[in-house]
Amino acid sequence: MDNTLLWYTTRGAGAVTLVLLSAVVVLGILSVLRVQSAGWPRFLTVGLHRNLALMTIVFLALHIVTAVIDPFTHLGWLAAVVPFSSYYRTFWLGLGTVAFELLLAIVVTSLVRGFIGQSAWRLVHWLSYASWPVAVLHGFGTGTDAWSAWLFGLQAVCIVSVAAAAGYRLMAGSRDPLAAARSSFQAGVDRRESK
Amino acid sequence: MALGGGGNTYPMQMMDTVQDRVRARDGAMRLLNRMTTGAAVSALVGVGVLGAVSAHTIPGATSTSTASTSTASASITSSSTSSSTSTSSSGLQSSTTPVTSSSSSGVAVSGGS
Repeated sequence: MDNTLLWYTTRGAGAVTLVLLSAVVVLGILSVLRVQSAGWPRFLTVGLHRNLALMTIVFLALHIVTAVIDPFTHLGWLAAVVPFSSYYRTFWLGLGTVAFELLLAIVVTSLVRGFIGQSAWRLVHWLSYASWPVAVLHGFGTGTDAWSAWLFGLQAVCIVSVAAAAGYRLMAGSRDPLAAARSSFQAGVDRRESK
Repeated sequence: MALGGGGNTYPMQMMDTVQDRVRARDGAMRLLNRMTTGAAVSALVGVGVLGAVSAHTIPGATSTSTASTSTASASITSSSTSSSTSTSSSGLQSSTTPVTSSSSSGVAVSGGS
């Protein structure tokens, strides 16, 4: 296969993966907020979040495989698995490896959620908030033309989207319909235990 | 008044509500499948398009032409200073033969016409 084709596929797949990952994070936040309407039931948000997350893994695999087998870069498989072991832009490429492994942990624990329990799954799922910014930093630091207009614009759109969703999440608070009942019950239990 | 199914009886109004909910759910599932397929196709197209854009904007693809332009103008300038009478420009072309160094000793050729 042509070396340049592999190189450009790596870059295209990396950009697409960032867009997909950002969409997954936004949909995850919206599903926590229980966003729904007449034509958009809540399970649609959760289903799309799950499908796009699996799709992100596929395109991330394409990004990694094409980068590793590209004879021009000589990255090697070790750099894809062990963070900060690459000779090429060690720190920035290592961030990509960290983001990949965090994402892999999230997907694997989601697939075996029934076995590991809700609280363990939730704990690991919080890593998504770490995985996304690490991936963005990897894009800024590793990309040969990360500061070109098109890629910078793409990354800016992703950052603004996730920041807006996270900000909305923080302002909206909990959308749990039983939150008030739970807190009053907990307050009653606390009062009884303090007596 | 009521419909029976599997030994259960439901009021007609409740049956309509259940049917509506089932239809809405089926519609949402179709929408989910369409959106997933659309996202997959868009992502595949995106890899190609962004790869092509990347090929055009990669550093070096545009700076190479700039470098050769500046080199050309420098050559023209030096040419005009060394020979003030020559004003015509026939365009600069890169040599197709590589520049090599030779360390062989000279060879005398005799004969010929």
